[in-house]
Amino acid sequence: MAFYDKLFETLGLSNWCGEAGSGAPLSMADLMAQASGDAASGPFFPFPSLDNLNESCSAILQSRDVTKGIEDGFLAAKPALKSVLDPLTQPLSWMLDGALWLFEATPWFIMIPVLVGISWYASRSKPVTIFVFVAIMLLGLVDHYDVAMQTLSIIFVCTTISVLLGVPIGIAMSKSDRLQKFTVPVLDLLQTLPTFVYLIPLIFLFSVTESKLYGIAIILYAIVPVIRLTDLGIRLVDQDVIEAADAFGMNSKQKLLRVQLPLALPNIMAGVNQTIMMSLAMVVIASLVSAPGLGVNVLRGIRNLELGVGIVAGIGIVLLAVILDRVSKAALSRVDMTHVKH
Amino acid sequence: MTEPMVSLRGVYKIFGQDGASVMDHVKNGMGKEELLADHQHVLGLNDINVDMQAGEITVVMGLSGSGKSTLIRHLNRLIEPTAGEIIVQGEDVMQLSETGLREVRQQKMSMVFQKFALLPHKTVLQNAGMPLSVRGEDAEVCNREAAKWLDRVGLAGFENHYPAQLSGGMQQRVGIARALTANTDIMLMDEAFSALDPLIRTDMQDLLLELQKELHKTIIFITHDLDEALKLADHLVILKDGYVVQQGEPQHILLNPNDPYIEDFVSDINRARVLRVRSVMTPLSDGAVPDGAHGDVDVDDTLESMIARSGGDTSHAYVVKDGDETVGTLDMTSLVRALVPRVSSDDGVRNY
Repeated sequence: MAFYDKLFETLGLSNWCGEAGSGAPLSMADLMAQASGDAASGPFFPFPSLDNLNESCSAILQSRDVTKGIEDGFLAAKPALKSVLDPLTQPLSWMLDGALWLFEATPWFIMIPVLVGISWYASRSKPVTIFVFVAIMLLGLVDHYDVAMQTLSIIFVCTTISVLLGVPIGIAMSKSDRLQKFTVPVLDLLQTLPTFVYLIPLIFLFSVTESKLYGIAIILYAIVPVIRLTDLGIRLVDQDVIEAADAFGMNSKQKLLRVQLPLALPNIMAGVNQTIMMSLAMVVIASLVSAPGLGVNVLRGIRNLELGVGIVAGIGIVLLAVILDRVSKAALSRVDMTHVKH
Repeated sequence: MTEPMVSLRGVYKIFGQDGASVMDHVKNGMGKEELLADHQHVLGLNDINVDMQAGEITVVMGLSGSGKSTLIRHLNRLIEPTAGEIIVQGEDVMQLSETGLREVRQQKMSMVFQKFALLPHKTVLQNAGMPLSVRGEDAEVCNREAAKWLDRVGLAGFENHYPAQLSGGMQQRVGIARALTANTDIMLMDEAFSALDPLIRTDMQDLLLELQKELHKTIIFITHDLDEALKLADHLVILKDGYVVQQGEPQHILLNPNDPYIEDFVSDINRARVLRVRSVMTPLSDGAVPDGAHGDVDVDDTLESMIARSGGDTSHAYVVKDGDETVGTLDMTSLVRALVPRVSSDDGVRNY
């Protein structure tokens, strides 16, 4: 005798409900209750949840039917989604695989000078460049050079795509208040969704052996800051300067390229820095779905309780993070310098 | 009189949700406060009719909130009027398409801003050359013209500096050079010197007058400073709460203020420095030159210089010449009388 039986009787819905306790599958709690032979146990006034109502009226769905419904719905939509998304995202797989091949195939005695050279070009800072060199040598010394390069190649591809997509989206958002109103909740969702949750629908959609699976997860997570900060940067451009641009008859393209983007550049660069950091965070989680790199070693450390392996890989990730952060921050401050040079 | 370079005909601007809907109330004489209280709209400009002559400096003066910055932004349609016509060189800019409007802004008007509004990431040279590069001129042409005008405003040698490296006065010189590089007939100056300290401001005013002497541009100058307005203006327009209180020749306004608001304004002015002999002399009607004159003076001499010349002796009289022609006589007693304002500054309208 369940709590809500009376309710359905007084409402005259007994017929619609049908026989209570029909063939619906039993939950573990139900089984336990049956085993102890004490069906009336439980709170005096249970919350009218789907499960509790179902006990009195089997026509009402159980909560598990809801989750099952979502799953079925997703599976039903899967073929259509897949036929659209698969070819659309295929280039991502090629880029990730290509970059992975390139980073791995290049011998270390070429790769390290190239990386150090890029650091110098971007930062123009001796301490940063020396730090990059020492850090990569350290990683190599403990035989983590290869995995570090794998991680770097993934970040390289994902950050590039995030910037290429994110900056135009940010520009569009800054131009249209309505678009901003619609985009901001999506960005909030992407940023707050637990990182693991990204992976679940993707696993259903794509094969785990395809590299685009983790590529998409990383890009979705990491693209948010560059969009936000591009939008913010353009909106923060001094209105007086915009007015001057208008007064001298600039068209909107000239205004964007000559005034808004250059003046928003420090903010956009800050967004790129955040995007790099977030893709590094996600690349570790993505090792759950076969993303190669340092994350795999961390995962191994957790699975097999190999403390040393996990910690070394963890420190490797920290080193990589510091390298990427310092180089992009130094580049950022260099960009900033041309703005307020005193 | 020749056709004015720029004229505003019945221009209204009402800020708010739907300015056009309350136009009728404004035309029926509803005031600024009433409009804000009853209809939540702000009256920016109220029936502005101003003609700006070619080659003259028209100064629009008013306190903050009087609508003067709004007014100047109507000329190149940075702000759209609610009603009225804006005619530039015989062409109604209200009828222009977006492209046509850009054309006008590029070819006919340049603007100097209170806060300079230079591009911080460009050099002084690139900033000054900006109007030409917007039109799609070669970098070489832009740089040549920009360097020429930078030199003219006294900034030779600073071409490769960035704006942030210059003082406020120098930045505004770049702003003026930028407007001159555009080589337009009309120059709009929105409180161009208000952000500068007094000495630099005087320098810049002198620079502007000197440039104007050789370039003869049509300059529309906005200011809240009456001294500045009187120094620069050929035609003075005084705005208050969005309507024109009085407009005309500055000397005339100073001697014949038609509103307590303006009387109060002009009572604080050093009249001896502003008024000129022309305004206080007795015109010569019959062509007879008076006896006992102490010498000849020019019609455009200031009263200050006359007082210095006479040594403060009010019994002196002078013959006034305009070029070679004798146009009147100046009696020092009437000169001193003209220096006394009709309303003293102590009991002005500000007090109630």
